[in-house]
Amino acid sequence: MTRSSRVARFRNSLAFKVIFSTVLLCLAVVWLTGSALYAQLSDGIRKVKVESSVAESRSAIFNAQYRIILGSDSSAKAIKQIVDDIIVNSPSVIGTAINGREVALLRTRSTPIGAINYQETSNQMLVSSIPNELRLRVQKSISTEWSETLIRYSDGTKVSALAVGEKITIPKAGDYEMYLLFSLDRQDATLVLLSRSLFFTGIVLILLIALITFLVVRQIVRPVREAARIAEGFTAGDLSQRMQIKGKDEIARLGNAFNEMALSLQNQINRLENLSHVQQGFVSDVSHELRTPLTTLRMASEVIYATREQFDPNIARSAELLVAQIDRFEKLLEDLLEISRFDAEVAVLEIVEFDVVALVEQCISDLSLLAKERATSIELIHFGEPGLIQADIRRVERILRNLLTNAIEYSDSKPLKVRIVSSENEIAVGVRDYGIGLDEASAYRVFDRFWRADPSRARVRGGTGLGLSIALEDARLHHGELEAWGRQGKGAHFVLTLPRRSGGEVISRPIRLKPEDFSSTS
Amino acid sequence: MTLVMVVDDDQDLAEMLGIVLTSAGIDVDLVSRGDEVLEVFRANPPDLVLLDVMLPGLNGIEVCKLIRAESMVPIVMLSAKGDTIDVVEGLEAGADDYMIKPFKHPSELVARIRTRLRRSSAGLSGRLTLADLAIDLVAHQVTRGGKLIALTRLEFDLLVALAKEPRRVFTRDALLSEVWGYRHSTDTRLVNVHVQRLRAKIEHDPENPEIVVTVRGVGYKAGVTGGV
Repeated sequence: MTRSSRVARFRNSLAFKVIFSTVLLCLAVVWLTGSALYAQLSDGIRKVKVESSVAESRSAIFNAQYRIILGSDSSAKAIKQIVDDIIVNSPSVIGTAINGREVALLRTRSTPIGAINYQETSNQMLVSSIPNELRLRVQKSISTEWSETLIRYSDGTKVSALAVGEKITIPKAGDYEMYLLFSLDRQDATLVLLSRSLFFTGIVLILLIALITFLVVRQIVRPVREAARIAEGFTAGDLSQRMQIKGKDEIARLGNAFNEMALSLQNQINRLENLSHVQQGFVSDVSHELRTPLTTLRMASEVIYATREQFDPNIARSAELLVAQIDRFEKLLEDLLEISRFDAEVAVLEIVEFDVVALVEQCISDLSLLAKERATSIELIHFGEPGLIQADIRRVERILRNLLTNAIEYSDSKPLKVRIVSSENEIAVGVRDYGIGLDEASAYRVFDRFWRADPSRARVRGGTGLGLSIALEDARLHHGELEAWGRQGKGAHFVLTLPRRSGGEVISRPIRLKPEDFSSTS
Repeated sequence: MTLVMVVDDDQDLAEMLGIVLTSAGIDVDLVSRGDEVLEVFRANPPDLVLLDVMLPGLNGIEVCKLIRAESMVPIVMLSAKGDTIDVVEGLEAGADDYMIKPFKHPSELVARIRTRLRRSSAGLSGRLTLADLAIDLVAHQVTRGGKLIALTRLEFDLLVALAKEPRRVFTRDALLSEVWGYRHSTDTRLVNVHVQRLRAKIEHDPENPEIVVTVRGVGYKAGVTGGV
């Protein structure tokens, strides 16, 4: 099996479709719930961090303000020392150095630059780390304000952080702002971990769902596949198979319904087969029952016929008619039996290879006597080489004889033309007469059983009215075609087209049905 | 006078056959049931049996086997069916020839009966040898090592036809015309079945025939291996 066909088979399977759509839907659901969960969790984590940071900042700033106020009597230098302590030592004071806390004391713009600038940041953090927007808020507010930002160091590194600030007053210097910046690295790391685990949980969940779907679908699909297999078996003629039924669920009901259908189908088929057997048996019985009296009749009539010269002319003529009618009766019986064999589909081909040209020549020579009686002649046109064909010679001969006999009978004493043309796949025999012809509507009906072109017109003497029907059935049995063309007063054209190889089909038409010597204007 | 036993359950047909045969100068014994045949046959042995296939009591094929078991008389089967199986079964049961009802002409029936009664080997005299078989044309006997082999008239005629011209390959049509007296070839199964029956009687190993040899695609000839 090739890769593409395997893919195609997979695509065509119900299991694939169900699993595919389930996985797709689950993916959407997992995606939505995952992102909602993530958003909620990250919000919560931030909120906790903000709360703790703000509280911590408040106490630290209060502490700083307290220490500055305590030292307010000292010199500006001493206060600077205190501020330095607060900035540099604040981590150790608060004990959160591991949290990466940074501190900044910034001069509010309105405060004049005095002798000593107390503005200072810890760890070479740049002043630009504190957003202007936050500073404006702090300057206006009387309590703490916060904002998210990036800590920028002088060496260029950046760390995402939370900045919390409050006004602070330094005696003899004026208003300053104190900021504490808390690194959010840990929270970010937690969130990354969280999103990763959510992602992997989602993948595993989807895989599990796919597996579960596969197992569930298989439970349903297996009986469906079995039903399909059995149905295919039915099509192929195996009527004996049934589905196995377990439990009482819907699948079991399907199985039951399927088996009941199978049984009823089997019964129907058996009934039809029986009917067909009865029909065949009947045909065989009719054959036997009619043939025995017919044999007696025939011998009796022959005995009378053989001595007809001893009787007066009327009785002698009666004896002749009797013999002729018994012949006709027998022919009719044969034809009816043949038709019933076609109807019962018991007609079989006995295929041999033979030369159609030779067979046509044989038929023409056999019918030369009849042609002479009807004052006509037959011209055979063919392309020299033998036309070999694999077919049932008896049936093909019967078709040819029938077409030729009809053509002679209706020839109106004008010569006939028989053409044989072969192609690679088929051989066609065209029988053209120029006699009384058929009208267009009749050309379609000539193959009907017991059909007469004109009910008032006498049938060909001795004809059964079944000849062309049998010829058509014979042609069809070979997968061949037999068609008729005709115009009132312009004669008729019958074309037999047969595939050259047994079991082949007619693809092209070596002889056109509409005769070449006919144009609609003539 | 020649006596033909007509076995047919159809009274009218039997009577008609009687009329036709009687007017041709043949004596007729009419039997209508299959299980009565053997009794009449033993009481008054006929020269030929005309046997219908479908019979009450005992069917024609069985009757044919019973007659064959005790006599080599020519048997012609009458069949209403052109059915291949019927015909082959009849021939395998030992019938020499068969006719399908309805016959084309009564004269055809008479001619067929006369052919069966006449010996195609008639008028020949002397002895023929084929392999280890000795054929006595006068006594109509075939012996192997002094032991008599029972052949029906038809089988004997078939063997003689082949033995007369040991180098000639006979087509089935040729045999039909020489042995059965058909002018037009009809049914080559007649030849096939009878060759099989003949081989079963005269060959050492019927599976590998040495006396009646098949010539593929042509017909049969007498095998001359084993001396002339």
